[in-house]
This record gives sequence, structure tokens and C-alpha cells, in this order.
Amino acid sequence: MENNKINVIEQAQTLDRSVPPGSGKPRDVNFPKFFETRSDNGITVLVIEDKRLPLITSRFVFKSGSYMDYFAGENKYGLASMTSELLTKGTSGRSATKIAEETDFLGATISSGCDYDATYVSSYSLKKYFDNIFEIVTDVILDPKFEEEEISRLREQRLNSLLSMTDDGDYLSEKVFKKSVYENNPYAFPVEGNKASIKNLNREDITEFYRRIFNPENLIVAFVGDITPEEAMNKINEKFSGWKNNPELETKPLIPAHKEKTKVYLTEKKGAVQSSIKTGHIGISRGNPDFIPVNVMNTMLGGYFTSRINKNLREVNGYTYGARSVFYSNKFSGDFSVMTEVKNNITADTVKEILKEINDIRNDLVSEDELQNVKNYISGSFPLQLETPNAIASKVINLKLYDLEEDYYNTYIQRVNRLSMGEIRDAAVKYLHPEKLVISIAGNVKEIEDDMKVFGEVEIVKDIF
Amino acid sequence: MTNHLAEKIRFEVPSLEYKEHTFGNGLRLVMSRQGNIPMVAVNTTFHIGSKDEEEHMTGLAHLFEHLMFEGSPNIPKGKFDEILNQNGGESNAYTSWDSTSYFVALPANHLEVGLWLDSDRIAGFGISKESLEIQKDVVLEEKLLYVDNSPYGTVEEESSRRLFKNSGYKWPIIGNMDDLRKVTLDDIENFFERYYKPNNAVISIVGDIDYDKTLSLVEKYYGAIKPGKDFERRKFYEENIMTEIREDIYDNIQLEGKFIFYRLPEMGTADYYAMNILNGILSEGDSSRFYQELEYKNELVIESDTNLYGMEQTSLFCISAIAMKGKSIEEIETRIDSILEDIKNGNIDENEITKVKNKVETYYNSRRQSIISLADKFSFFKTFYNDCEKINFEIIDYLQVAKNDIIESANKYLNKNQRVVLNYFPKKQHNGE
Repeated sequence: MENNKINVIEQAQTLDRSVPPGSGKPRDVNFPKFFETRSDNGITVLVIEDKRLPLITSRFVFKSGSYMDYFAGENKYGLASMTSELLTKGTSGRSATKIAEETDFLGATISSGCDYDATYVSSYSLKKYFDNIFEIVTDVILDPKFEEEEISRLREQRLNSLLSMTDDGDYLSEKVFKKSVYENNPYAFPVEGNKASIKNLNREDITEFYRRIFNPENLIVAFVGDITPEEAMNKINEKFSGWKNNPELETKPLIPAHKEKTKVYLTEKKGAVQSSIKTGHIGISRGNPDFIPVNVMNTMLGGYFTSRINKNLREVNGYTYGARSVFYSNKFSGDFSVMTEVKNNITADTVKEILKEINDIRNDLVSEDELQNVKNYISGSFPLQLETPNAIASKVINLKLYDLEEDYYNTYIQRVNRLSMGEIRDAAVKYLHPEKLVISIAGNVKEIEDDMKVFGEVEIVKDIF
Repeated sequence: MTNHLAEKIRFEVPSLEYKEHTFGNGLRLVMSRQGNIPMVAVNTTFHIGSKDEEEHMTGLAHLFEHLMFEGSPNIPKGKFDEILNQNGGESNAYTSWDSTSYFVALPANHLEVGLWLDSDRIAGFGISKESLEIQKDVVLEEKLLYVDNSPYGTVEEESSRRLFKNSGYKWPIIGNMDDLRKVTLDDIENFFERYYKPNNAVISIVGDIDYDKTLSLVEKYYGAIKPGKDFERRKFYEENIMTEIREDIYDNIQLEGKFIFYRLPEMGTADYYAMNILNGILSEGDSSRFYQELEYKNELVIESDTNLYGMEQTSLFCISAIAMKGKSIEEIETRIDSILEDIKNGNIDENEITKVKNKVETYYNSRRQSIISLADKFSFFKTFYNDCEKINFEIIDYLQVAKNDIIESANKYLNKNQRVVLNYFPKKQHNGE
């Protein structure tokens, strides 16, 4: 490598940059193997073993989340979320501060939280401290104290956070969007709750919710990293074998309905110089058999950088820093939305362009090249989603949480690659409804109100919290 | 080094393997084989950031981050990402005060396509007037999104112009929008000719690669690109702040905020590492002093944090706190000051130091999981320290910080008369509005 310069001159004469280079042979990608079993009292135990780094993650996933708030009583929104956060705020043997001190000292983290479909507690630590950290995690799951003092501290924090979040246009448009799309469905209500519901929650709600949701049969535990299935099972048997099941909180799938026609919801955001736009409608549940075609279609529409919507709004028109669309899917239902932020005076033009793109992908077949591109993109970048043991664990947990077929991730790429142009259009026709949109915008209402009337009836949202 | 090794073994941090090469045109290459998944990440970092810009022509470094995807001599506008996506790849970029980094990640068998795309935009200038105008609009929207329309979004620009008076650190990374609107295609080309040259770049390739093949591919695509003229980087000169600077700012917010800034020495110095450990003691985890004192025991804030921003010619230590409704930010400041005074008086428990070092150890073991972030790290160490070995040994710089180092640094830098304090208040409601 001493005589670089000579090589360089030769290269300069031979390299034709106008010709794209070819590619080598791809290496096969298989979804990694994992271990699965069930404990005597019904806990699903998963192990994704990876010995390359001396790290272990434990992930406890209870198959109930904020969807349950709706069934817990009148105006109990935020209950799952408050309960999960309070787990690490004290047990019979450890105060909140002691939990924090012990965990931090091990250079570890314990986190807890929830979404609509699940409540989780996770630990992350070096292998050498795993016994210690597992002891703490077990303690917070099995013996949380839910002290009044901690509840009222968290309540005050939450009320202040809710207040602060109203400064954010995207937050406002998102909340109004969900509420308008789902109306009285459990998915209409924010995971974090609202001002009235947070004030309405008491210790009894929390302990009862904990008792009905935190049960072995409702639990998936995934161990990830430098741990064998045998070591994992020993841990579970040691700590959880005596844990009994309580009757589960009763719930049922409630299916939301589409709007009859498009309607505009405007929310004032003080001093707004941009409109935060979120528009869409009811989408699909995670278990919908069309989940893959719908998501491939959406990727082309607005799911990646070179998608139609981002290309149109950002690269051609320079209207926005970025625009995207998503099918957000939960256990029983989901929603479709397009999101972006633009200057006040081009708000209506932007909505027009979004509508055009939704209509185009419904009316015209996508080209073969465009479909091939998105297939290559999805299959080529898929291994990046399998890069870390924790990313793999998320996928394995999804298999269990949403009852997907065992071989879902092994056949995923094949199923993407088999899709035809017709199937993409079918998915668009069946699941995109440009005449039944909720158009939610947070911004300067006075400046945009008149322009928005062309899309449908306009409602000015006064109080959403 | 022997001492370092001993220390390292105690902390069980595995070494990362890598190889380096410098080409005749000055381009520096770092390669690291990580065969976990059949993907490869290519990070190209140019040693040009916002602080290197000319006053009255700010924002160019960041604007380039947009323009470099907008076409080059053999790749028409809009095709860069399209070709990359067709090959299963994706891209991104970011700009800091001191450098601009670009990355592509794609299946390892398409590495050559990635290098072809990435090198073409350095081999020649291919940005059109149309692209320039559209991307100016995109950046203006980016600024509205993250600054003007975002709560507390002006903190960076309000603090920078008070912390610095001469250097290029005094303007925000995104630049001043009045400057940006005036930029011409000639300005862009001049900037390109000066900074986007192989002798001002580091390329790091991490993933499922073969070292020899990768070296010859990089040579094929980058080896013949002509180096640029040497240029002198502006020397950093700033007078010390001698009197506290305070400012009240009114924003579209509900809760009052307190933001405090201190200047520190540049990254890589012993004081910088000492301040890093202190940063952990103050705000890492729920056992930290800030969480316990401000959020948990006294319920004054909904959130508080401290951050250390390492820079090439200076650094910043930043404190932020958002008050609970009805709590006074002056009381919060008093509490913060007493936490800092306590540290300066030497009241640090050895356990607090060990705790932060244990966190550093966990972090060092986690960092090798992402090829994209590893490539970024290699480029960073090569660009700013010309020393990739720091990826394996920088942990020693953290671990050898002693209690006294922290106390001395705190006394040297965290003084009231050397700081900038910003008070954020909700805009007053006007009658009739």
C-alpha cells in the first residue's frame, strides 16, 4: 500500500462513473431461533440467547394495556399508565429512592410503561449484575406498594406534563385526531389520560387494576442476551412459581365505525407559525390478514423517504421538512394517518396534495419499477431490524402478543416479494377512504379556517382536555 | 498502556477490531468487520461544521447536509435515495458545530453501489439552482418546526449568542435565516470546493465486509478524486465571561423554564472527562442529585437535566429545568446552586463516582450493537483525535477520573460570574386577543 499514487492515476483513467456497479451475491437472512416454554402457572417464557456481549435484558410484558382503562370504570383513562409507572416507586421492602439507588449503582436500568395493548417492565444490565437486578425487577412486579404519597406525586407530575404538552402542535392535532376518528372507542382516549381522569384516579383503582392485570397467565417474559434457557427457567421458577392467577378484568373487542363524510377539526395553538396536520381514518387491526399488503402500499404512499407524499411535499414543493403516512395497528382496531407540518398559508394546498396522492394510489396501478423498488427496500433493510437481540425480542414478543403465525417473520420477506401491482391497488381501494377523512389541524385557526371549508364541515375544537 | 490494560480487564470491556488506511489524496479510511447481519454502514464525515462558516453566510454547513442528496455529475436529482432504496439501503446525515456526517446503510453485497453513490457527490459538483431553492424552503420549514413553533425552541440561539462573541459558535447550527435566503449557487460551489474534498474527510465502513476488497473498492471510487487546497481553520478566541449574563425570554409556553450554561474546555481534555462524570452524578438516573432534589423531594420541576456538549474548540455544560405550575424558577435556581456548591465544597460520595463509572461500563458494552453508530464513532475519533484507538481506550479517560478532579473542575468552571442564565416565561396575554 506504499505506492498508492500510481494506482490512483490508473484508476482515474479506467473508472466510468456513469455506469452503476453490479452487486455481489446476497447472504441469506433467517429469523433467529428462539426458545419458548410455559411455566406451571401459565407464564410464557421466551429466550433469545446471544453470547457475544455480556449483557442481559429481561422484558416482562403483560397482555393488557390502556385499552383496559375503558373497562375499569367511568373516566379512568391513564390508569394502566399510572399503574405501570408506580411499580418502580416503592415496594414493601424498598422505597422509590432505594430502587433507584440500587439500580443505578449497578450501572443498570429498570423501566416500566404501557401502550394500548400491553404493560411492560424491563431491565437492562451487565451479566455479572443480573442476579441483583432480577431480584429488584421481581420485587417491583410482585410486591409494589402504591403508596398514597407516590400516587399524589405522580398525579401532580402528570397534570403538569399534560399542560406542558399542549404547547406542542403535533400533540394537539394527534389527540384531536384520535378522539375524532375513534369517537367513543377505547382507542380514542390517550394512554397518558386527561386532566379530569387523572384527578379522578385513586389508590383503589390502581390496586384493583394491578390485581386484575398482573397475573401469570397474562404474562410473557422474554430474556435476551447472555443467558441460557435453563438459567432463565431457573430464575422464573425461583421467583414466580408461587404466584397465583386472579380473575382477569372483563373486556371485549369494540370496533369503531368510519365517518360518513370528511370533516375538519381545527384546534388553536397559541402563536403558531405552522399548521400541524394529521389526517386519516379508521385503519386495520394487527391481525388483519391484509396487514402486509396494506403496509407495503403505505410504504409507497408515505412510509419512507422516497415515498409519494414525501417526494411531493418536500422534494418537489418544498412545503415541509418531512411528511409521512402510517397504519397504526392495535389488537382490535387501528388507524391510518398522514402527518406533516407546514406554514399557515399553504395548509390547504398541502391537504389538497395529500388527497391527490391518496386518490392516485387508489385509482392507478403503481408501476412495476416502483413496486420492485419498495420490495427491494423492505427486504434489503429488514436485517437492520434484526441487528440487536432486543430488536429480535420485540418481534418475538409481537408474535405472542398478537397471536401471529409461528413462521410470520420467516415468511415475511417472501410474502412482500410475492405482492402484485393489483394487490397493492386492491389494498388501497379497500383501506383508503379519501371521502371519509378526519382532518385535524392544530395551528392559527383564524388564518386557516376559511381555506379549509372546501374539504368539509369545519369544527373549531374548544376544549379537548 | 500496561496500566490501561489492567484497568480495562477489571472492567471487562471487549476491544473492537478495525483497520485503517490513508490514501494519496488525503482521504482517511477506517474499516471494522462486524459480521452479525449481512449489512454494511458507510459513514463519510467532513471536517466542516457551522462554527467554520463565515459570519453573514451562516447555515451553509447544514444546508449542504440537504444538498448532498440532490444530485451529482452522474446521479440526477432525486435519484440518490431512489437507487439506494432499490438496493435495499437507506441514508441520513447530520450537522454539528464541528463536522457534517453522511451515512448509508445497505446489504453488504451492494456495498459498491453505496460507494459509487457516495463518492460521485464528492467527485464533482452537480447541484442545480432549482434544488438549492427547494432545499432552502425545506430548511426554513425545518427551522420553523424545531425553533419557532417548538416550546423552548429558541434556547440554542438565545444561549449561543450570549456565550460567544467572536467564534463561529455564536450562531445556531441551522444558521441565520436571513443569511440562508441570500445564498447563491456560486456560494455553494465555493464552499464545496473548499471543504468537500478527500483531504478533509474520513470514511468509515463497518459491517459484513472483507478488508482487502473494501480497501480496493474505496480506492477505485475515491482514490482519484483530487484533494482540495489546504485551508486554515479559524483560531478560537473568546474572552472569558467575567460577569453573569441573565435574560428573560417570553415564549408560547405554559410552564416557566430555567436554562443555565457554562463554558468548558474542548472535548478530550482531562477536565472534560471529569465534568462528564460530574454530569452523571448530577442527572443520570432517578438516584441522581437533580432528580432527587428538584423532582422527587421538593416537587419543583416536571423535568430537569444536565448535559455536556463536547466541541472541538470549547465545550458547554448546560442545565435545564421546567418548573411545575406555580413553582418559582428563582427557587429552582437557588436549589441548583446549592447542589453545585455542595459538589464544589467536596461533598461527593465515592459511591456516586463508582455508580457513574458502572454506567459507563454498561454503555461501552452496548455500543457495538449498531453498525451505523459504530461507523459514526470511528469517523468521530479519526476526525477529531486522528486516533481510532480511542474507541477502545477512551473508557480509561472516564474511569481514571478521581474525586479531586471533579471538585477542581467544578470550582474552575461552574461559577456564577462565568455563566449565562435564561429565564423562559409564558408570553403575556394581551386584552382583546
